[in-house]
Amino acid sequence: MTKSIVSIRNLHKSYGKVPVLNDFSLDVYPNEVVVVIGPSGTGKSTLLRCINYLTPFDSGEIHLDGQKIDPRKTNLNHVRQQIGMVFQDFNLFNHMSAFHNVAVGLVKVKRVNRGEARSRALDELERVGMLQYKDQYPAELSGGQKQRVAIARALAMNPKIMLFDEPTSALDPELIEEVLAVMKSLAAAGMTMVVVSHEMSFAREAADRIVFMDQGAIAEMGSPSELFANPHKERTRQFLSKLGYRENERKDESDG
Amino acid sequence: MDDQWAFFLRILPELWEGLKMSMYLSVGALSLGLVIGLPLALVKTYGHGVLRFVVTAYIEVVRGTPMVVQLFMVYFGLPELGIVIDRVPAAIIALAVNSSAYQAEYFRGAILSVSEGQYAAGRAIGMSQGQAVLHIILPQALRIVIPPWSNEMVYMVKYTSIAFLIAVPELMAQGQVIITRTFRPMETLFWVGLLYVIVLAILSQIVDWIETRVRIPGYQSDRRG
Ligand SMILES: Nc1ncnc2c1ncn2[C@@H]1O[C@H](COP(=O)(O)OP(=O)(O)OP(=O)(O)O)[C@@H](O)[C@H]1O
Ligand SMILES: [Mg+2]
Repeated sequence: MTKSIVSIRNLHKSYGKVPVLNDFSLDVYPNEVVVVIGPSGTGKSTLLRCINYLTPFDSGEIHLDGQKIDPRKTNLNHVRQQIGMVFQDFNLFNHMSAFHNVAVGLVKVKRVNRGEARSRALDELERVGMLQYKDQYPAELSGGQKQRVAIARALAMNPKIMLFDEPTSALDPELIEEVLAVMKSLAAAGMTMVVVSHEMSFAREAADRIVFMDQGAIAEMGSPSELFANPHKERTRQFLSKLGYRENERKDESDG
Repeated sequence: MDDQWAFFLRILPELWEGLKMSMYLSVGALSLGLVIGLPLALVKTYGHGVLRFVVTAYIEVVRGTPMVVQLFMVYFGLPELGIVIDRVPAAIIALAVNSSAYQAEYFRGAILSVSEGQYAAGRAIGMSQGQAVLHIILPQALRIVIPPWSNEMVYMVKYTSIAFLIAVPELMAQGQVIITRTFRPMETLFWVGLLYVIVLAILSQIVDWIETRVRIPGYQSDRRG
């Protein structure tokens, strides 16, 4: 059996009395792309934020590359360097150019010397097709461009796994594809990824596994072909048909 | 009119000395207020427990008491405890204490107005809390704070005039001396007031210039809260 990159075991998390993650377990293996789908408020964002300890959880364990993370002993800043995260609303550092957004982690966190940081940052910007915008500030970029820089920023830390939280849902329809293209090429290059997204084109093309999450736990899981063609649970079926409806709706919009 | 000018030129040297003292008090109080106020803002925003409570209490007490009371406490009150301070440093300390509480609130407001996502993104690439605050939050907060801070500057320049109550020879005190000697209060106060207006106009220009200089490209038009 291959060793998982990230192993999430029996995660419980509640806000006050409201349970959000309910005994959630999932193993993500090297080079694997897991797409997480599920209704709003079901705990998808919370799950991602627990994986890199941005949000503390009540009980459960996370293992990164075979090592159990113990928040009292493990340096969480070091853990987070190894887990790239891409946010729905980009969260590029407003006061830094695209280049500095990508370089700052190398310089301040990894303490790479400036020359090397520079060349690595430029490489990452090139990889997401943003090299020519390196001196632009976030407010001068389109949403799709911002998200590509945000991906480059995460990649610069050379993470073992990348987490994406609805990376295209804040984008205008015509900008979605440029971001998905970058993500697909990452997947093709063998990056391990957990992607919360309802972009079915991405799921079909790039996902190895689809996780349907409902009420803080995995309701159903399978390969895209299995899950989309033949969902076992009524909940999954309902949700997928709703998604299909939404997808059509957007096509109508961009046609009209 | 000629007479007015002659009067102004005659009292100008004294007013000039007063103005210099007022500026000295302002710069001292604002700088010291910043040096105290910024850490207070950080503790109130990110701190916990007793320290945070003490800082919150300090800010509330200072903002809740009249500045004259603070000034008299430092100049007349502290000597009773055996701490004697000259009038000028006493004025600067009292004004700085007062300013620090207001500046702390302005800095805190600016820090809170930088979106949570900025901090999360810093932490997500492996920054410690301190690094995220230093490299991500503060550079943005310090830009956001410029307009409210410049208000504080305007207030402080004017409030230095209460130092005349402990006989610090600042602009207002110099005016008072001139009035007693010449019995021309109206004209004297007019020129005193005008000097405040001119100085504040120049200072505001400087702050505007700084604000433009440090503005984030593309950011001014669509600044989100
Ligand atoms: N900081 C918080 N404080 C209190 N409750 C929260 C907090 N963050 C999330 N929640 C609650 O936790 C639940 C799960 O939220 P989460 O954002 O993880 O859902 P999600 O699956 O990502 O939803 P969406 O598809 O809308 O993004 C929701 O009911 C939400 O209201
Ligand atoms: Mg979410």
